[in-house]
Amino acid sequence: MPKQKLNPLPSAAFQILLALVGEDLHGYGIMRQVAEQTDGRMRLGPGTLYSSVQTLLEAKLIEELGSREDEKLGSERRRYYRLTAAGRKLARSEAERLADLLRVARSKKILRGEYV
Amino acid sequence: MSEKIYAWLLRLYPSRFREAYGEEALQLFRDRSRDETGFRLRLRLWADVLGDLALSVPREYFHVHPGLASFSAHLRPEGVPSFFVFENESLGPGALVFGGVLSIAALVTFSVMLNSGGKYVPLSALIRPAHSSAKARSSAFDSSAPRAAANTGEKASESKESQPPEMDATSFQPAKGAAGRPYGSVKLSASERRRIVEAAAAIVEKHYVDHDNGRKMAAALRVHEKNGDDNQTTDGPEFAALLTQQMREVTPDRHLTLDYFKVPLPQHAPAPTAGDFARYREVMKRESCTFEKVEVLRSNIGYLKLNWFPDVSVCEATARAAMASLNNADVIIFDLRDNRGGEPAMVSFMAAYLFDHPEYFYNPRENTTEESWTLSPVAGNRLADKPVYVLTSSRTFSGAEQFSYNLKMLKRATLVGETTGGGAHSGAFHGIDEHFGMGIPETKAINPYSKMDWAEIGVEPDVKVNAANALETAVQLAQNKLQKK
Repeated sequence: MPKQKLNPLPSAAFQILLALVGEDLHGYGIMRQVAEQTDGRMRLGPGTLYSSVQTLLEAKLIEELGSREDEKLGSERRRYYRLTAAGRKLARSEAERLADLLRVARSKKILRGEYV
Repeated sequence: MSEKIYAWLLRLYPSRFREAYGEEALQLFRDRSRDETGFRLRLRLWADVLGDLALSVPREYFHVHPGLASFSAHLRPEGVPSFFVFENESLGPGALVFGGVLSIAALVTFSVMLNSGGKYVPLSALIRPAHSSAKARSSAFDSSAPRAAANTGEKASESKESQPPEMDATSFQPAKGAAGRPYGSVKLSASERRRIVEAAAAIVEKHYVDHDNGRKMAAALRVHEKNGDDNQTTDGPEFAALLTQQMREVTPDRHLTLDYFKVPLPQHAPAPTAGDFARYREVMKRESCTFEKVEVLRSNIGYLKLNWFPDVSVCEATARAAMASLNNADVIIFDLRDNRGGEPAMVSFMAAYLFDHPEYFYNPRENTTEESWTLSPVAGNRLADKPVYVLTSSRTFSGAEQFSYNLKMLKRATLVGETTGGGAHSGAFHGIDEHFGMGIPETKAINPYSKMDWAEIGVEPDVKVNAANALETAVQLAQNKLQKK
């Protein structure tokens, strides 16, 4: 059941949603975007990436756009993915949940800093 | 070639996944191997892919097919348990064969590693891993023996034998019947001395807070050993003292020690478990968090006898209640004559009641940070400007000395009693073998008062009396002070 698989939202799924916020991407594009936004800490392997993509598709949090070429990567056709409105909403609520957690951590002095 | 191997590995996934994403997964692998060239990147790619495989293959087999799941949910009446069908496909024969080959390969590798590891035990394996040292530092000021100094007035560096350090109230016991030498006197052979020197040099080189000096001390230890300066010393405690002296000739740091332990040290201190913490909690509850007495004496003098500075997370409520019950006293006496130390956090928590503004509390074990200041003022507290007396004895130790030392230096309390035990324990503990271990300072705390703290020399009281008479003397002093007002 996708709903259960996404509650709590696994960090790979959240990273994929975040990667798709700015633009539509194909699988390798998502992987590179996730690596970039986590400073290289998270490199999604093909299995994890596509099983997350599959779950997100089933939950209608992302949608498939059909195949086209990526000029920078040659003539191979690639499936592109786009964030849906529901996906955007979920990513936002997850980010808010993390911000709440951060606030608690700061109040307990685990983390320092003024904002949030 | 790599791509072929990966294509083959892809067959581990269920066919449903392969059909939907097999081509794309392969494409992604191709993209990465095109972009990530060079030995290191290629190695990383394979590590990623294999790790990913290990995680995602089982997940795919347990992935609930949405159609099936909703169907079974539909069938299930409220409250009646039912089984889910996870996968409508069994593992293919290829996957089973491949899985078998992979397990055998893993097993063979593991046993080969075990065998070759068993023949040669590197020195580093004898040294306690870093986690135990971190533990030793973070858990508490340990209540190891108050170096012979306490009772006899001897300098600690001349003390003969130490007791094993206790990590905290609940952690490890000395290993029973530990293999090795008997407890009695030990005559060290040349090879044993060399082994200890080498281990000590390696530890000090790696962990000492100032790396340059660490290297110099390691070099000095090795040079002394080579020159035969250690040859006359065959006695464990003397040898420990000699090595300590050799290191301190390079860097006069009294927090750096190499100790001999008569009772064999446990070689592998078990990590504290949830059960240990539950026991700790229970003991603290039974012992009222070691607040032995909290009462108001004649002339409205608040008296508090505390025998340990326990974990704040366990004892905060008890500590608050104790301080609240003395809130209206005109004077407060802290009796630390039987206090053997505890958590720096509790030291600071208790001290917060004695100030109306945050005050720096020097702790030789921690780097100076924001948390080095007390969380004063405490809401509703009236003790911030009341006279304070602290009763000390030669048994007063470690965290209790931190409390006494800071209040004395801040001129916030009058210390009455005896010179304290002299345990600063700013070093993380590193075991060398079952009889030798080192305390190595790994942090640099700022002592605003002097270069010296109480390590080995103890805290001198302001009013020197026998510990047995300290309470009476303090009450007298307090009464005199109150009358003068």
